Amino acid sequence: MTLSLLEAALIVFVVGCALGAALLKDTLASVISFAAYSLGISIIWLVLQAPDVGLTEAAVGAGIMTILFILALANTVTPDVDRLLESVRWRTVAFVGAFVLVMAATVPALPTIGDPTAPVAGGEVTQYYLANAYTETGVKNAVTAVLAAYRGFDTLGEAVVVFSAGVVALSVLRREVFA
Amino acid sequence: MSVDDQPGLYVESTIIMTTVRVVAPFVLTFALFIMFHGADSPGGGFQGGVIAGSVVMMLAFAYGIDSTRQWLDVRVVAALASGGVLVFAGIGLGSILLGGQFLQYTEYEPFYAEASKYGIELVELGIGGIVASVAIGLFFLLAAGFGHVAGEDEA
Repeated sequence: MTLSLLEAALIVFVVGCALGAALLKDTLASVISFAAYSLGISIIWLVLQAPDVGLTEAAVGAGIMTILFILALANTVTPDVDRLLESVRWRTVAFVGAFVLVMAATVPALPTIGDPTAPVAGGEVTQYYLANAYTETGVKNAVTAVLAAYRGFDTLGEAVVVFSAGVVALSVLRREVFA
Repeated sequence: MSVDDQPGLYVESTIIMTTVRVVAPFVLTFALFIMFHGADSPGGGFQGGVIAGSVVMMLAFAYGIDSTRQWLDVRVVAALASGGVLVFAGIGLGSILLGGQFLQYTEYEPFYAEASKYGIELVELGIGGIVASVAIGLFFLLAAGFGHVAGEDEA
């Protein structure tokens, strides 16, 4: 597997931001690092030609989540930070390292990006969607066709989950209006 | 305790207010573009809804959270959230009433030729309404915290 310069730079950026989000002692710095991580991931999705996912990651992960985190920080008392990095427990490092190794062991089993014989791309269902999505649903974006037509019931569930999250936040905070 | 009670969190700045006033209509237009055009290009209700919600957050950033809270009509936010669910579920269940499967857009074709395409657009718009209003709601709820309720005994 060869990486282009852009991909390598993005991976270094994303891993660096993830480490920053995990290790920085100052919570605000951690939140900002997390936002940068989300932005990097969304560009990686773009490079991997998944613009729908990239757009969601940029809007939700880098945008709304950061605002909500900062708002939560503004409403809480943040202790003064005496040093830059969080103190690291070596047992945790060993555990996380082992987990990363297990996950990394599965990477060689993944098909190459864009491999036409990969089960996902070559599968019967995918080929059916790609061949029939436009004639059956009238929309050109196959992702939208799957989301709103073929798998519309799942999407209704997702939309109701978002709605319920709002209602639950109202009842937890014992307020009656959204604003 | 509201955010605006704390000193120094909201800074009134002519530059930020002017920028937001100029940029906000474009951001809202872009959000609607993402929602509507999601059928033919990347995007859709979830992404467009978040961008639409962020317009209100931009306004709060420029004009202060409490002034934006007072300006915003809560009935519109609530109507968008529940209206979105009703539109989506209504389109889905309507096709069952017409004798088809859940969300089978072709059942609507006797009434409108391009029912599938515009049914999907309506569903995306419904999703956008839900996501935008819940994002706005969570924003204001988090900003308010527990403090806005009289006689609250915990927190």
